[in-house]
Amino acid sequence: MARIALAIGALAAVVYPIPLQLQGTTYYQTVGFLVLLNAMLGVGWNVIGGWAGQFDFGPQVFFAVGAYTAALLYVKLGVDAWLGLLAGVAVAAVICAVLTYPLTRLRGHYFAISTVAIWMIAQPIGATWEYIGAAQGLFIPVRPRTGVAASALALQFSGPAKAMGYYYAALVLFAITLALMAVVERSKLGYYFRAIRDDQEAAEGIGIDSRLYKVIARSITAAVFAAAGALYAFWALSVFPEQVLELNWGTLPIMATVVGGIGRLWGPVLGAVILIPISQIMSTTLGTGPLAGRGIDLIVYGLIIIVIAAFRPTGLLSLPWSRWFRVGRQAIA
Amino acid sequence: MAPLLSVESSTKRFGGLLANRKVSLAIEAGEIVGLIGPNGAGKTTLFNCVTGYMHPDEGRIIFDGTDITHTRPERICRLGVARTWQVVRAFGRMTALENVVCGALQRTNRIGEARARARELLEFSDLRGKDDMFAATLTLADKKRLEIARALATRPKLLLLDEAMSGLTPMEVAAAVRLVRRIHSEMRVTICVVEHVMEVVMPLSHRVVVLDYGVKIADGLPQAVVRDEEVIRAYLGERRAAR
Repeated sequence: MARIALAIGALAAVVYPIPLQLQGTTYYQTVGFLVLLNAMLGVGWNVIGGWAGQFDFGPQVFFAVGAYTAALLYVKLGVDAWLGLLAGVAVAAVICAVLTYPLTRLRGHYFAISTVAIWMIAQPIGATWEYIGAAQGLFIPVRPRTGVAASALALQFSGPAKAMGYYYAALVLFAITLALMAVVERSKLGYYFRAIRDDQEAAEGIGIDSRLYKVIARSITAAVFAAAGALYAFWALSVFPEQVLELNWGTLPIMATVVGGIGRLWGPVLGAVILIPISQIMSTTLGTGPLAGRGIDLIVYGLIIIVIAAFRPTGLLSLPWSRWFRVGRQAIA
Repeated sequence: MAPLLSVESSTKRFGGLLANRKVSLAIEAGEIVGLIGPNGAGKTTLFNCVTGYMHPDEGRIIFDGTDITHTRPERICRLGVARTWQVVRAFGRMTALENVVCGALQRTNRIGEARARARELLEFSDLRGKDDMFAATLTLADKKRLEIARALATRPKLLLLDEAMSGLTPMEVAAAVRLVRRIHSEMRVTICVVEHVMEVVMPLSHRVVVLDYGVKIADGLPQAVVRDEEVIRAYLGERRAAR
């Protein structure tokens, strides 16, 4: 059953933009792009938050690190987007490791607070550091490419195919992230992260260096955030502090993870598929018309999350899907 | 030959309280040593110092030729000391098999090998058929067995069992005693058991060490220790001892 759902989902994700492209409604491709971006971020956050069980409320710092690194390399040195993305991933993982090692002395709420503190420190740095453009940020000039391959390699899509191009770029990055995290989940790392989550003292007692593995977990999360940040920079064609250091780059993926199922590989994916379109639909329906500007869309959106959190705190993926679909499985057999 | 573990005049204070006062203790390879004493005698503190969760304020701890006085728990585990906990600390949201795999991964990086080893150990520890049960759903006796299996998966030379039998029914205690004997004879692991149930420790241990108010008051063969004046006083009070 899970395999069939997976195949249908994958097929839907691949063909999704095509009818929209033929129809000319590119807006929904952008919604798809945001779903994939947030799903990818959620899958990344799940490593530190879900498996290792450490509440990290400042992952958006590494989204910004990825965006800035890729943009700086492109603007100042003319380095290609994909190389810049890889550089951003490496820089974010290293910065994260250096910053997180001392934080691992803290536990529980104190660890969570310290991750927020780092984000708060990052904001004035982003807003005042001249080399990275301070408050104005960086603008990424478009160098028009001819042909699909050249555009894809440069991660620069323009014209009518822009939204579709970035959708597929996000799909590729999302798929790579998901595949890598599936490997991590089944590796020694996956076992050790969950052991630390369930009982840190007991984990140390069987030889697990809890501080080291927390740093590794958070650096994996940071790497995923940086990759997404770099992609976002080339989509937005600009990087500035208020945009990439925005709190939502942390909270939306965390909400997607919790709503979908924290600690489950596919949890954040389900969460993002549900939450992001709802937020978009809410803002285009309730956010316009006579009630516009009163935040009704955000209120309804918030209520939906509260209802899911109250009735299924372990996430929608933890519902007994296999029992509900057992009839179907027997029919196939 | 030097003992496998030697605790040399270890002192541990918690503010004004002396939890361990100049405790010296040697465990030879191949022994089963019982560590007993009334509540608050400092047994668990001594275990915590040996396994690196606490460090003595004075004195030294040597394991297998290495000074581990100030070593962290995960390093001490790698050197070959494993422990279980007075209050069980199974990984509740992981299955029984996964719990033991985490221990086995200490000695291999290959998941397949670790799983095979974990299955063997679950079977050895009388947990057959419970591989896929979440640890949180197991009974207390099974959780304690699971902790032992997880500790054994790290291939220890010395296994420290902190009240592995408290809270169990008499039948479960008998099974646990059998398991400890099998670990000793079949796996050739040196064992130190903390227990305050005399009836369990006496027949199981080759040697018994008694702590009272943080001080070692007896160390010897079980038969000798039960007749020791000071031990009787510590356990039963002045009146009984006087008789």
